[in-house]
Amino acid sequence: MYGSASTHDLPTTALTGLENEDPILLAEFEARINRGEKIEPGDWMPALYRKQLTRMIEQHAHSEIIGSLPEGTWITRAPGFRRKMAQMAKVQDEVGHAQLLYSAAETLGKTREEMLTDLINGKSKYSNVFNYPTPTWADSNVISWLIDAGAIVNQLANAKGSYGPYCRALDRICAEEAFHLKYGHDAVVHLATGTPIQRKMMQEALNRWWPAIMTFFGPSDKMSVHTEILMRWKVKMASNDECRNQFLDMYVPKIWEIGLTLPDANLRKNEETGQWEFTEPDWEDFKRVINGDGPCNAERIAVRRAAEENGAWVRRALLTPKTQYVRPLA
Amino acid sequence: MIHSHDPRMNRLGLPDAPATAAAKGALDQFGTYEAFHQKKEGAPFVYVGPVHAPEADVAFLFAKEQYSRRFACTGLWVVPTAAITVTDYVGDQEWAYDSLPLLTNQQAAATATADPRFGDDTAAEEAAYAAGEEDYDIFHLKKRGKAHQHVGKVRANSPAQALQVAKAVFGDQRPVVNVWAARSADFLRSDDEDRDIWTTTPDKKYRDAISYKVQDRIERFKAETGTSQAD
Repeated sequence: MYGSASTHDLPTTALTGLENEDPILLAEFEARINRGEKIEPGDWMPALYRKQLTRMIEQHAHSEIIGSLPEGTWITRAPGFRRKMAQMAKVQDEVGHAQLLYSAAETLGKTREEMLTDLINGKSKYSNVFNYPTPTWADSNVISWLIDAGAIVNQLANAKGSYGPYCRALDRICAEEAFHLKYGHDAVVHLATGTPIQRKMMQEALNRWWPAIMTFFGPSDKMSVHTEILMRWKVKMASNDECRNQFLDMYVPKIWEIGLTLPDANLRKNEETGQWEFTEPDWEDFKRVINGDGPCNAERIAVRRAAEENGAWVRRALLTPKTQYVRPLA
Repeated sequence: MIHSHDPRMNRLGLPDAPATAAAKGALDQFGTYEAFHQKKEGAPFVYVGPVHAPEADVAFLFAKEQYSRRFACTGLWVVPTAAITVTDYVGDQEWAYDSLPLLTNQQAAATATADPRFGDDTAAEEAAYAAGEEDYDIFHLKKRGKAHQHVGKVRANSPAQALQVAKAVFGDQRPVVNVWAARSADFLRSDDEDRDIWTTTPDKKYRDAISYKVQDRIERFKAETGTSQAD
């Protein structure tokens, strides 16, 4: 789950430098993508392609590992043994996804040490929704169902992208998501169709999470000037608005059918255009939170950093002195 | 102090604004191994991905957890990344063996005498091993974006020669986008005797999508509350 992989923080200078690339190699590279062939790690690729993919896959990996924290919060207090086991299995899947994605990013040249250093120093981003807390079990359920659902929309699109190692990782990840989605849906339905107190808890959690969910796919394409070349290179496979609309199409009816409401009076589908209409999310607030000023930014990074530091002596003790680093193959 | 909704985090007593973490040193995350799994008995081993691990036994454990936890698996191999020799990648309609250096006549003659058959215990095979030849496992990638698949073994005195022998032995397979060769001795492989490690216990059904019958509950709810599908 979890990967929103939106390229919302592309630097505005990112799309320069193509003039420095060898025009023949660039033409061959683009022809390969146009033929529908995947790019593999040993291939020549433009510096910009390498940079954007590294950023995107790395952010996706960080989102998996940080995203496991708000759900992990509820493992010990999930209602009943079976749900504890299931919640634990799901969290384990997410951490496993991070491992797959770090390796895919690593084939592009950034080491896992560098990626983790950037994460625990706040230099790399992860999906902004995980800077919000899960004060109740119902909040955790909203993540399990709807954040995963949003991530699946993204991941299914990206699995058709041009970079071989990322596609292989996403195929594996998407296959595991089937359980997550059902598990999350089941947990939400259980509370939404339960006692009045359970219903209230679920409705309040949904109200808390809805604004964050609406930002999950990143700002509107109208506000993004970078997507054209990333689409051409099949780094980005669907626009933010397309993904958001697809998500709303698939899940708003499922939310409404169990008697829950959504805290946006303007939310409705325009049957003529097929597009959902909604109140524009507060992108200023989004920027403020992603830049560090959210309710849980400090906690997420501190917890991750503590885990890295507390495990350091074990890794030092296990390291075989003659080990030499070689970039993973694929 | 950080105040979390997770009591386990609160017990860590994490400071609000910790100092900048030091950059991780090289090999903090160990070296890497590449893992191959077998989906069912008799099927070829297929590449699944890398793991970071300090040594082969740990790599095997991590690979088992990472790549067999959620999928049917009947066998697993791990090999250090550095032990694999890789050819150039070519296009989806091409043949990666074409990118190998052309052999001198003498080399070609040596390759031609390499007997690709195994386990026949011929005197020639004995002599080849005595002369320092070793077994190599060969993997083909048939299409970009897919995974390398084991095609068999060859005997050779170097990785470069192993690729040349493989070109002769598996020459009828096309397309081949990329070839990997690795000394068979460098692999750690699951044992047939241990095959019960691949059995998923039936009490783990909570990990399967199919055990969540949510639609029944939704229908019951709708019937009780009179909510119509049209909502």
